[in-house]
Amino acid sequence: MPRLNSRADLEELRKEILAKRDPNKPRITVCSGTACSASGARQVAVALEEEIRKRGLDAEVELKKTGCHGFCEKGPLVVVYPQEICYVRVRPEDVPEIVQSVKENRIISRLLYVGPGKERISRESEIPFYKYQKRIVFGLNRQVDPKSIEDYIASGGYGALAKALFEMSPEQVLEEIKKADLRGRGGGGFPAGKKWETARNALGEPKYVIVNCDEGDPGAYMDRSLMEGNPHRVLEGLIIGAYAIGAREGFIYVREEYPLAVENVKVAIKQAEEYGLLGENILGSGFDFHVRVHRGAGAFVSGESTALMNAIEGRVGEPRMKYIHTAVSGIKGKPSCLNNVETWANVPLIIEHGADWFRSIGTEKSKGTKIFSLVGKVNDTGLVEVPMGITLRDIIYKIGGGIKGGKKFKAVQTGGPSGGVIPEEYLDTPVDFDRLVELGSMMGSGGMIVMDEDTCMVDIARFFVGFLLEESCGKCVPCREGLRVLHSILTDICEGRGRDEDLKLIEEIAETMKETSLCALGTTAANPVLTTLKYFRSEYEAHIRERRCPAKVCKSLIAYYIDPEACQACGACLKNCPVGAVEGGEDEIHRIDQDKCTKCGTCYEVCAFNAVKKISGEPVPPSPPRGTRPRAKR
Amino acid sequence: MGKVKLEIDGKEVVAEEGMTVLEAARLVGAEIPTLCHDERLEPYGACRVCTVEIERGGKTRMVAACGFPVENGLKVRTRSPRLDRMRKTLIELAAVSAGEWEEGSKFWTLVREYGADPSRFASRVQIKPTKCIVCGLCVRTCSDVTGDGVIGFVGRGINRRVVIFPEKAQNCWTCRYCQEVCPTGKISPAGPLHSFPSIDDVLAGRV
Amino acid sequence: MVELGCHHCGYRWNYRGESAFYATCPRCHYKVRIPNQKVDQTGELGKIGLEEHSKNLTGIAKIVNTVVSQFGYDENMLIQILLTFQKNFGWIPREVLSEVSKQLGVPLTRVYQVATFYKAFSLAPVGKHKIRVCMGTSCKVRGAPVILERLEGLLGIKAGETTPDLRFTLETVNCLGCCALGPVVVVDGDYWGNLTVRNVEKVVRSYR
Repeated sequence: MPRLNSRADLEELRKEILAKRDPNKPRITVCSGTACSASGARQVAVALEEEIRKRGLDAEVELKKTGCHGFCEKGPLVVVYPQEICYVRVRPEDVPEIVQSVKENRIISRLLYVGPGKERISRESEIPFYKYQKRIVFGLNRQVDPKSIEDYIASGGYGALAKALFEMSPEQVLEEIKKADLRGRGGGGFPAGKKWETARNALGEPKYVIVNCDEGDPGAYMDRSLMEGNPHRVLEGLIIGAYAIGAREGFIYVREEYPLAVENVKVAIKQAEEYGLLGENILGSGFDFHVRVHRGAGAFVSGESTALMNAIEGRVGEPRMKYIHTAVSGIKGKPSCLNNVETWANVPLIIEHGADWFRSIGTEKSKGTKIFSLVGKVNDTGLVEVPMGITLRDIIYKIGGGIKGGKKFKAVQTGGPSGGVIPEEYLDTPVDFDRLVELGSMMGSGGMIVMDEDTCMVDIARFFVGFLLEESCGKCVPCREGLRVLHSILTDICEGRGRDEDLKLIEEIAETMKETSLCALGTTAANPVLTTLKYFRSEYEAHIRERRCPAKVCKSLIAYYIDPEACQACGACLKNCPVGAVEGGEDEIHRIDQDKCTKCGTCYEVCAFNAVKKISGEPVPPSPPRGTRPRAKR
Repeated sequence: MGKVKLEIDGKEVVAEEGMTVLEAARLVGAEIPTLCHDERLEPYGACRVCTVEIERGGKTRMVAACGFPVENGLKVRTRSPRLDRMRKTLIELAAVSAGEWEEGSKFWTLVREYGADPSRFASRVQIKPTKCIVCGLCVRTCSDVTGDGVIGFVGRGINRRVVIFPEKAQNCWTCRYCQEVCPTGKISPAGPLHSFPSIDDVLAGRV
Repeated sequence: MVELGCHHCGYRWNYRGESAFYATCPRCHYKVRIPNQKVDQTGELGKIGLEEHSKNLTGIAKIVNTVVSQFGYDENMLIQILLTFQKNFGWIPREVLSEVSKQLGVPLTRVYQVATFYKAFSLAPVGKHKIRVCMGTSCKVRGAPVILERLEGLLGIKAGETTPDLRFTLETVNCLGCCALGPVVVVDGDYWGNLTVRNVEKVVRSYR
């Protein structure tokens, strides 16, 4: 491929690619994100390839392996264009039928998504999960092959870069971002324009720009999907940012757990360099910019900006004091502008469509859209991109299709380990940066974990504290020791050793950690504890005073027993019990030996007759004598 | 270098640009406690007992005095009931891993001064005390003096600890600077080689 | 390396530390400012010296040299270099760490601090198959702790341990980013989603 040496070359190439493509030609796309791959998308793609070749349809049908579509719950996803028919949970066995149907131009009803009213929905955009979203950043993922720069260029990609380089001065680009009011998508919501400006005006050369793809929040994976599914958009945003700030060098820091993201972004960088969109003299504009990928090595705290910069310097990824902003003094003491993946991905859109367009989406102080990973106990899990200001209820019920198994909603956790839980009474809160903070939580990178009545809030608080305890770098006292003591106290409460004064102690430690910790990991670490304590205090009190776990989760406070009235003596629990705590015979009601039981819950899960009961805070009813026959057989 | 005017505990202070609040406070004799700081080393910010209240632009927040640079018009408070309470909690938290310390050491003095109860949190956690608060003074001093450090940090979070590297033991000429800076008296006069476990023992899980 | 002189007592010595601003006088313990060019000097010297020597290296030193030279003897790439060894060997032997420290001109203390800080590095041999159980929030509320317990029972080891026959290493990770499929287990890079207590045994058996 010849290098593109001007804006006209880029336009020429785009036209050339589009001319080669027939929009009416049937196209089968397979989602190749990590989640779909895990549920078998790779095999489906291989089968499709073979089937198309076997039938000699190579010229008539196009097959494309795209980035993550976001509807991970129903993967592997196959979408047939131009009709946009969406097939869910596709197995390799279904492939011949799909290819046949494409040829015959018909729809396979059994593979369609089943809506809430049992109706089958064929068009992707009609599925409620997609219907209520606004996919400006994420939408392209399902159209392009992440390993093909031509796909991206065909969809208008790198047009914003050309516009910035040839129509705008760096100051104008900066002004546009400032005007758009783009706020950092990584957590705090710091205005990106302001950060860029600080870096631009700071003394010191060279300047650096950095993509933070160290997405560590448990339950959040939108950065991964963008990086894996459409790396060119992030790259384009980064180049535009570098142009505005005056940086000649950039880093992309990807966490260790995302090998596919590393692979795809490396391919993207190589392609962009070949096409003259990266490297020396980009598009003949005289602007030079180089990018290097750094892999993380498995440390949550490395996502903190100063720690990340330490890691890029090859040092231990622990934070340093940040009283001088990293935009002024970051990597090697030079001005370094760090933004998260999603923030960079928004940049090309703002340049292309203008700040006013961007400002028309969202709320007064939070503009644009936000991608959330809607996970947990919700029917349709996956990545959702919604305009700021949508209510939590709409996300969970309209897009997510409500709670799994008809259970009752209890809380939604946002912001990862730095955020908090939000109870039902605030479900109608519009989601934006400031409103979530008011509720004691935060936007974070966009994890949204839905919890139902079977979730114990003390246990969740302990889980987050345990997570942070493992991930804290251990440098400063309040974070290291505060988390250790908090975890120990919460464990005591979960295991029935809680004391009345514990809640006061928790609050005292939380306050000290919040005010005195070295970095954001420590200052926000107590949020999950404080919010659960604020909204679910009675649950803590039940654990401490009544030694009862209302959600029946905390092992030390629960017991399992077999209801003699319901047991059919099928033997499922007996066979599956890992410790041999279930006793009984073929025609005999089963009993659980409470001394042997480890409360793993296997019997509860495998029982088909709902005979295994879980109780907390009450004595275990006595078992019937040996030899008692099941009711149905009596 | 330019001069900066700020207010510490109500007193006006003229400091040099680039100074930290801690350095400026010492100019006027305002006492700010520290555990991990030594003016001969770069500010580190691990112990946080030097936390002070600052006021700027009408907003009050808490910062570590050892790393916060002075600026014009800054108002600093080095003592207040809230600060005292925070510092007491911090000392009590640090005592969790320390467990014990020499009488007369810097840590001991602070425990006394702030009326801290070292067993308040320690009693809630079952761990073997190490007499070390992981302040890093010895490690940083050692790498400054020897270049190729004899002692160093390994591990992360609550598993972070100081170890000795046997292959670098010959670098140690028992300068005893590490002993001098240690706030808890963990390091014996015989030098670090007799006070910390070796890296081999730690990796093999023997200690 | 840079020669420093103490302003306080006049002592002169060769400083090899990593502090960019101040060193401590070994004699009087006074703070001595390091001239700015120090950082560049060591880098350049180290580079030239090692490239000349690399031809005569043997054994581990040679293996380490191939990787270190690939990264241009750049000390900023320490983590990337260690990741390469981790990927190729499955673990990082102590000799490699010492060699990396020598060839890169980075203090051994720093190499160890990095190698023990990050979860990706293991300093002891690991099993042939690495089982990583996701303990992220989503997997947790969907039942990951039960899956982990079952795996521990099946393999007879706790999380973080390796079976005596070096077949399996069991680890927990905090979120693999496959939240929609939880509980998720990754074995040697293959993702297994929507696990239950019952089908987890099948997963293990397929790697026996």
